[in-house]
Amino acid sequence: MRKAMVLFTCLFVATAWASASGGHGEGNEPSVPDYILHHVADTNDFELEVPLSQPIHLGAIPPIRIGNCAPVMTDHGLVAPSGWSGLMGGCLDLSITKHTVMMWLAALLLLATIFIWSSRDKTKLVPRGTGANLIEMLVLFVRDEMAIKNIGKEDGPRYVPYLLTAFFFILFMNLLGLVPWMATATGNLAVTCGLALCTFFVTQAAGIRAAGLGGYLKHLTGGVHWSLWIIMVPVEILGLISKPFALTMRLFANMLAGHIVLFFLIGLIFILGHPAVAAVSVPFAFAIYLLELFVAFVQAYVFTLLSALFIGMAVATGHHHDDHGHADDHGHGHSELGPSHDHGKAHA
Amino acid sequence: MFLPNVLAASSLVSVQPGLIFWTLVTFVIVFFVLKAKAWGPILQLVEEREKQISAAIESAKRERAEAEKLLADQKTAISEARRQAAEETRRNQQEMEKFREELMAKSRKEAEELKLSARREIDEQKTKAIAEVRAMAVDLAMEVAGKLMSERMDDSKHRALAEQFVKGLPLSGSGNAGVRRSA
Repeated sequence: MRKAMVLFTCLFVATAWASASGGHGEGNEPSVPDYILHHVADTNDFELEVPLSQPIHLGAIPPIRIGNCAPVMTDHGLVAPSGWSGLMGGCLDLSITKHTVMMWLAALLLLATIFIWSSRDKTKLVPRGTGANLIEMLVLFVRDEMAIKNIGKEDGPRYVPYLLTAFFFILFMNLLGLVPWMATATGNLAVTCGLALCTFFVTQAAGIRAAGLGGYLKHLTGGVHWSLWIIMVPVEILGLISKPFALTMRLFANMLAGHIVLFFLIGLIFILGHPAVAAVSVPFAFAIYLLELFVAFVQAYVFTLLSALFIGMAVATGHHHDDHGHADDHGHGHSELGPSHDHGKAHA
Repeated sequence: MFLPNVLAASSLVSVQPGLIFWTLVTFVIVFFVLKAKAWGPILQLVEEREKQISAAIESAKRERAEAEKLLADQKTAISEARRQAAEETRRNQQEMEKFREELMAKSRKEAEELKLSARREIDEQKTKAIAEVRAMAVDLAMEVAGKLMSERMDDSKHRALAEQFVKGLPLSGSGNAGVRRSA
């Protein structure tokens, strides 16, 4: 508690002083929104943000482009094609950006942490020490509370390594974003999209594995008459895509929003131009920072939990189709509108 | 000032295919490395531990049940032994009682028999003695009679008696006697 108070006071004094001295160099300074958006944006060049002065440029990694990447004429002059438009033109832009580096850094930290903490006497079944216990606790949590509860006792353990990797990878990227001078890779749509794509692929694989390719494709038709397939199949595919889309947006928005709020609270001092604002905004920013620490865990948890849920749904679909088939065989002689039919429709 | 911000913000939501690619690559590498080097061994260890714990619990339960069974067996055995001992004692006592009674009955019978035989003996002796006394009395009487007869045979009354006696004697044997007596 005393430590927290000391930290608090330091933050307060520093920001108050910063706002007071920041008043001198007006005009040349970027506006607060510019600064924030620049901070959270993904760029090619690396810079060290220095409080109260211009950032120090650390240089840029030369862009990596694969394919037909001749510069094209645009409104801004002759530029190399990038992004999706570039990809359409046959040029894949694989440039190493700030967020790519952050992602790799998080990956390395993750590997190092896991290896250091999981390297123990393997002959002893009981872990010793904080690290080993912490890892085992989280592993068991992911296995018991997410995989087995949502996917099932038989199929659950198969997807535990994927869920664990997703959880820890996202967690480390989230936490790395809270370290000064680092950036949040999960605050980038492309990164969260890539992660959601992983879940998407795993979910489809789980569905095909549980129901077979035929059952999987049959499920895509929603179990309706073939003449309705032209409506049903796009709807089903939309349903498939909406899940990873939700994952993408949730993680991205949460991570980005927290950082923007944090910066705006600090920036409020400069916008309002009085050191006294710090008395309010610094405690708020501090609280938001703590909240962000919590959110880092929560979002990793939510992403993993939803992944497990989607995989569980895909697996259950396979099992359900088996049951449905049996019910149909059984119910054909008796009635057209048996409970199995209703159930199938409700599921579709 | 507003427009550049919006433009910058739009760059925030632009999805770079390159970064998606790097994310996928990084994720897949991290996944396989961790699966091979960390998750696999950890999960294996955890499963092994769970198996051992459940086995230990199971065996503890089994052993406890066994111990309880043994204890119950022991208890029943002890009570059985106790019961048997009590029965044995009871039976012994009963037997002893019976034996004693038998002995008593036997000795009583013997005493009775002894008494009986003694009485018989006494009776016998008494009878014998009476017979003896009677014989002696006859002899004495005979002697006295003999003496009387030899001395006072002249009396007419006695003469008649003797004659009557002689008459009553068998002919062959008693003739001599009669002769002797009459002589």
